[in-house]
Order: sequence, then C-alpha cells, then structure tokens
Amino acid sequence: MLQASSLTYQVGGKTLVSKVDLTLVPGRLVAIIGPNGAGKSTLLRLLSGELRPTSGAVELDGRALGRFDAAALARRRAVVPQATALSFPFTAREVVLLGATVPGFGVASAEIEQMAMGCLRTVGLAAIADRFYTHLSGGEKQRVHIARALLQLAVADREACASSILMLDEPTASLDLAHQGLVLEEARRQARGGRAVLAVLHDLNLAAVFADELVLMCRGEIAARGSAPEVINDALLSRSYGCEVRTNTTPGAGIPFVLPYTRRN
Amino acid sequence: MFLRRVYAFETLRVAVATALMLVAGAALAGKTIVDGSGRKVTIGDTSRILSIGGDVTEILYALKADGKIIAVDTTSQHPPQALGTKTSVGYMRALSAEGVLSTNPTLIIAAKDAGPPPVVSVLQSSSIPYVVVPDDRTPEGVAAKIRFIASVVDAEAAGEALAKEVEADFALLAEQRAKITAPKRALFVLSVQNGRATVAGTGTAADAIFKLAGAVNAAGDAHGYKPLADEAGVELAPDAVVTMQSGRSGPPSDPVTSVKALADSPALKQHKIIEMNALYLLGFGPRCARAARELMIALYPELPIKRASAEK
Amino acid sequence: MTSEALALPDRKKPSAHPLSTAQLVVGATLLLVIAATASLALGPTGISLGSLPRAIASALGMTADASAAREQLVLIDIRMPRTLIGMFVGASLAVAGAIMQGLFRNPLADPGLIGVSSGAALAAVATIALGNGIAAPLLQPLGVYALPVAAFVGGVATTGLLVLIAGRHGQLMVGTLLLAGIALGALSGALTGLIAYASDDRELRDLTFWSMGSLGGSTWPKVLAVTPFAVLIAVMTPALIRGLNGFLLGESEAFHLGVNVERTKTIAIIVTAASVGAAVAMAGIIGFVGIVVPHVVRLLAGPDHRVVLPGSALLGATLMLVADIAARMLVKPAELPIGIVMAGIGAPVFLHLVMKRGIGGME
Repeated sequence: MLQASSLTYQVGGKTLVSKVDLTLVPGRLVAIIGPNGAGKSTLLRLLSGELRPTSGAVELDGRALGRFDAAALARRRAVVPQATALSFPFTAREVVLLGATVPGFGVASAEIEQMAMGCLRTVGLAAIADRFYTHLSGGEKQRVHIARALLQLAVADREACASSILMLDEPTASLDLAHQGLVLEEARRQARGGRAVLAVLHDLNLAAVFADELVLMCRGEIAARGSAPEVINDALLSRSYGCEVRTNTTPGAGIPFVLPYTRRN
Repeated sequence: MFLRRVYAFETLRVAVATALMLVAGAALAGKTIVDGSGRKVTIGDTSRILSIGGDVTEILYALKADGKIIAVDTTSQHPPQALGTKTSVGYMRALSAEGVLSTNPTLIIAAKDAGPPPVVSVLQSSSIPYVVVPDDRTPEGVAAKIRFIASVVDAEAAGEALAKEVEADFALLAEQRAKITAPKRALFVLSVQNGRATVAGTGTAADAIFKLAGAVNAAGDAHGYKPLADEAGVELAPDAVVTMQSGRSGPPSDPVTSVKALADSPALKQHKIIEMNALYLLGFGPRCARAARELMIALYPELPIKRASAEK
Repeated sequence: MTSEALALPDRKKPSAHPLSTAQLVVGATLLLVIAATASLALGPTGISLGSLPRAIASALGMTADASAAREQLVLIDIRMPRTLIGMFVGASLAVAGAIMQGLFRNPLADPGLIGVSSGAALAAVATIALGNGIAAPLLQPLGVYALPVAAFVGGVATTGLLVLIAGRHGQLMVGTLLLAGIALGALSGALTGLIAYASDDRELRDLTFWSMGSLGGSTWPKVLAVTPFAVLIAVMTPALIRGLNGFLLGESEAFHLGVNVERTKTIAIIVTAASVGAAVAMAGIIGFVGIVVPHVVRLLAGPDHRVVLPGSALLGATLMLVADIAARMLVKPAELPIGIVMAGIGAPVFLHLVMKRGIGGME
C-alpha cells in the first residue's frame, strides 16, 4: 500500500504540488485527472520515488520511499513514462526486455524471453517484436513501454511477496480507440489481479469508464476525489478546467461522460 | 618473476657477450670508448654503420667512410647521395626500434638528439654498439666531434687531417672576424606564421653561429626560440634577417616580408634577407666555418674577406 | 497468462541483428588471438615465431648465441610489450567510447568529451616543451616515464575538475558534464596551442609525433604500469552493464527500472578517465577507436551492453593490433604514426557498414 500524506513539492519558488493526501491500495485503479499544469505528472513522480518531496511523506507499506534503494523500489513498482527518447537500435522486444534489467537479474533468460513475448502479446504487438523501436509509430512505442512495465512487474512477482504497483503517465496519449481500450482494460485486469494501479489520464471519459476512483487535481491541489459520478459534474469540471463543460450519462450503464460545451451540444 | 629473470639474465648475457667481444675484439682491434653521453661502448665490427644526425653523416662522408654506411635518418641531407642512395630510417626523433634493428647495423653512431627515449633505451640494450656523438657548438667542439667519429670508425688519420683543416678554417675566420669594426645586428627567423615570426635567442645554434660570424644577435635578450611580439620586434631593428631555405622539411613559411614587426627594420628596408641551408648553417659539421664565413660576407660586403683556399 | 500464451515456437533468437551475443564475442576473441599472433610474428626484421624457442632460451640465459640474443630482443623485448600495450590501448579506448555513448545516450559521444584526452595532451605538450626548462626538477627524476606520467595525471586531473564543476549540486548533471567538458577541452586546446607556439622546431616535431600516436615506446615496465588499469577496467566494467542499459531510456527511466543512477555515473566516469588516461599516456592520442568500434559492435549484435562492452574491448584490441602491424610494416624501416593508420583502416570499414545497414534503426 502506497500512502502519501500532506505531500508538497516546490521548485524555483513555485509550488507544483500542495498538501496532497493519496492512498493506493491493491485491487483498485486510481485515475488522476485535471488540466495541464495541474501537477499530475509531478505527483506521479513523487509517488514513484523519482522526486523527493519538499515536505510531507510517501510511504510504501509503512516505510518512507526514500529509505528504499532504487533496486528495491524497482521490485515493487513499475512506471510507464509519458515519452522516451531512444536513439539506439533496439528492437521492440529488446526494449521490453529492459524491464527485467534489475528485477530479472539472475532469472533464467529463456524464461524472461517467454514472459516478454507474453507482455508483447498482451498489448497487441507480438507481430512486430523484432522491428526496430525507432521505426515504430508513436502509439506502438507507447505500448512497448507498457509491455516493458508489465514485464518488470511480472518478473518482480516471482520474488516479492508484497503486492506491487503499476503507474502510468498518460498511457493513452498517442493511441487510437482500439488500443486505448486495450491498454486500460489491461490496467484494470492488473488491478483486479491484485496490483495497485495509478494512471494519469487526460481523457476524462476513459477515466470514467475504467477507473475505480478519480482524483481531480487543479493547480497542485486535489480539487475533488471519488467515484466517476461524484467527480464528473458540470460545476466542478468547469471550475477546474476553466471552460464550460456539459456532462451526461450513458443510457444503460449510467457512466458519466464529458463534452466541452458549445452551442452544438 | 619473469621480468626480474629477464633483466638478470639480460645482464648476464650482456656481460658474457661483452667478454666474448672483448676477447674477439682484441683480435679484431676492437676498443672501448666513452661516448658523448658518458657511456662506455665497445666497438667491434664497423662495416655496417647506421648514421643518425645530419652532421654525423656529413662527417662520415668527409672521412670517406661512407662506404660503410648502410642507413641514415631524414636529417642527413648533405651530401645529397646520403638520402639518395642509403636506406632511410625516418626522422631522427621518431625512430622505430625494430625498424632500426632490421637494417642489421653493426654500429650505430647517433647525434645526442636521437629519440624517442624509450627506443634509444632499447637500442642501447641490444648487442649493437650505440655511440652518442658529443655535441658542443663551438669550433673546438666541431673539431672534437670529427676526431671522435674518426676514432670510432678507425679513420684516425683522415680524421686528424679533416680536424686540422677545420681548425685552420676557424682560425682564419677568427682573424677575419677581428677586422670587423662595427658589428651588425642580425636576427634569425625560424619560421613565420600568420605574420608572426619565431626568432632565435641565446642558447640556440643560430646564436652560436652569429657569434662566429661576428654578428650581434638582435634577439639576444630572449632565450631559446620565441615568437616575436609586434612591438618588441620594432625595437630590435636588425640590420639583416637570416632564415632557412625552404626545403622539404618543415612547414611552409610565409615570407619574412610579411612580418609587420620588422617592416621598419633596416633589414627589410634594404631587403637584407639572407637565406641559407639549415644543415649547412646550423649543423656544426665540417662546413661550419665556411657557413659562418658566408654569413659574414653577406653581412659585411664591404670587408675584404677571402674564402679559405681548399674548398669543395 | 494461459499456457497457450506462453508457448514459443522455437528457441533460436530471431535475427534483427546479424549476430548473437555469443557469436560476436566468440568471433571477436578469435580475431584477437589471430591479431595478437600476427603482431608477435610480423615485423621489419623478418624474425618470426619460429624463433620463439631460441628467444626464450636466450632470455633464460641458456644460450649466449648472438642471433638468439637478437631474436630475444625483437620478440620478447620489443614485440611482446608492444602487443600487450596495443591490446590494452585498443580495448580501453573502445570500452571508454562505449561507456561514454551509453552515459550521454548519444552514439556519437567520444571519451574526449570528458576532457581526458585534451587534458592529457596539454600535460604532454607541457612536458615536451618545459621538461628541460621550468619543469625540469619535477620531471627529470622520472626519466623516460615523465611523459606518460604527466599525460596520465593531466587527463585524470582534467576529468576530476570537470566532475567538480558538473557535480556541484550533489548530483552529476550529464548535460552540464557535456558542456563543461567541451569548454575545458577548448581551454586545454588553447593552452596547448600556446605552448606549441612558443616551442622551437625540434619540440614542435616531438609534439606533432606524440599527438599522432605511437606504440613504439612500449617496454615491459610500461606493461607492468598498465596492468592495474587493465584489472580495474575488467573488474568495474561489468558493473556498468545493467546501469548503462537502463540509461538508454533516460535517467528517470533508469531509476524506475531500479538502476542506481548516481553510482552508475560515478563508476562510468572513473573507468573512462582511468582507462583513457592510461591509454593516452602509453601511446599518445589515437582517435577513432572510441567512436567506431562500439558502433560496429552495435551494428552487428545490437545495443545491449552485455555484448557492447566486452565486444568493444575485444574488437578494439584487435583493431589496434592490426593498425600497429601496418604502422610498422608499411614504410619500414621507418614507422607511421598509428593514429593515421587507424583512421585510414577504420573509416572506410565504418562507412561501408553504415551504408549497407543504415545506422541500425536510427535516421
């Protein structure tokens, strides 16, 4: 269980994250939503241990994150970044295998190769496993990194007893509809399988469909949190995003969705 | 350890070899000398000589010992047939140990400046006698150099004759020098790059030659080779500028006339730029006195200076 | 995962890269053995390995035969140290290049970027120019070793200065390292030029030859001197494999993957500075190896550092030996500067590979 209390992060005189309390528990998918510059990615980096908070604390199973060394953390959580620049001739498969760099050290490589192929299959990339990463489309690259994180967790599973955490930073940014569904469905499945999953999403509707809990951030603070119907409402969103929105619910399942308001709707 | 054994047995081997050579050498009239670096060297067979250094080669040719030379370095530019007919081992400060050995010399006679030092070490540790020629940039030094090399190659008679000739030439030079009443200021320019000259101060071969030629070194305040600053150059006011003929060696030099610092000097105003061959002027070989005299004649055209009688 | 998902059709690694790790390492090792044998067997004197028994006998003092002594001199005192030092220089320059490229995440990075080569050059130039003058009391006692020691100290000191500049906030900022390295390199170059400008003809020649590189001064004491460095590199480099692999995705990602980022940077810089400093001290400035050899390894077997680091060491050593054989045979009995030979051999090979395969996936 990952717990952040009163988390604040300041740099260069600016406060990017202010007094955030957040808990990630196994089995639940938490989505962080909010406008650009709200501090969503910064919050994720604080929760992953990459950044040290200015004040407040992040604790993993009761122990401060700063007390874990990089390798120990890598066995407990995996991160899918927003963007990666890679300028070396790796194949997609080799990028995925990088996920096993630390946790997989010492595990038989044939086994890791099998698990890597499995992860590629999960994100629908088995066919292009041997194409060079630099020749892939943006969406394909994104999915490679997701597969990489999945491998990191799968390999860590073999050793760690405690449950692990998957963090995704805007994983659907370059993906088309089919793959957006694919990826978030997998994220949900990971959550149901016992992981704690955190996803920074800019797409409110995807968040509404897939997340168990939504956390709305605005200007570094948490403006609201709760289930989709609680958070996705006109007044709250309009205030946070600074524009008029219209929310509605789908007939049948009653899942809320959002459109920016124009005269047409 | 292997190395200690190598060096221990190396010493033993050299000792045994030296002993054998001394015995054989006694039969072959070999001898032990102290060379220019203070090392004791035993010389045996002198039939295959590797000569390193322009002055060394020139002296060997003058002693008529050139038939024994099997290889020279690239600074051996006089006489022309040295580099023309003999194998070249490259530049004298960038020798290759195995390359030198592959020419199979029985004797190496080298100028003090031969290098690089590790290669010289290896050659000195081989069984081939490596003789360093003493280097002293004075008339006495030249004569001593000739006698030394002559004794190494068993040409004492020719050496004595040549040395006496050279000494006489220097004596004549000294007499002619005494006739100079108003010494001229000369400046030796090593090279010119981008309008800036590198000149020779004290402690250089050029400075020594100037003294012999009866000139005052205009750059006498500096030591070694120094670049000439624009303003300082104006104050030097040399009456003549001496420079090397552009040959194959060295980077191409801009003409001395492009040096702004010297534009106002008497040397450039009267276009008194004297070009001489580097080895001839600065080599301190057998032609040294002649070179100094030529310089003197160029500097003091009004003086009645005779060239020495026996010239080649 | 279901069992169906886990079933793999075959065990052979699919070939996106021409060679597998094992194939490249074995192949490179074989090439190195051949090159080392050739380096011992070939030389201007024409003495070949058949004379080795007699040379050894002479070394052990079992014979005082003059020609055996000559064979000993050539085979054991000249060619063997030259081969060993050549292997060290080639391997360490290539490995340093691979490490720098991983650290800076740039296939064009070169060990010179952290100022080692220019600092070493500056120290060497100063030694050549001032060794008989101002710096004499300091350098004369070292005798023949003044130049290598100075070059090494200069290289490592420059890198140390660089690390101080770039590590001011407790973390080693790679971007700052790069820029400061370029600045320090320019400064060293300017100072070097200044000293060269004030040198005379003879010193200039010495400088020029030194800066073009040569293995001609290799001796057994020098072999002893580089042995600790060889051991250092061999021991510390494997520790970099995981770190540099992670680094390829970026420092944040490396951290997320579990890599100790600061420790990786520190070890990388230490290994690079020490190995390049020692290599430059032994053989002068030899460029080209650090950039090209890791490239070739990546083109052949992919960018995983598990193959790039050992492969670069093996291939770098081989290339250096081949270049050295050419350097001492092409214009015998004189010798070509090895830096020139290296560029002459390596550049066309590299061009050929690049044109044939593209830079393996990169634009």
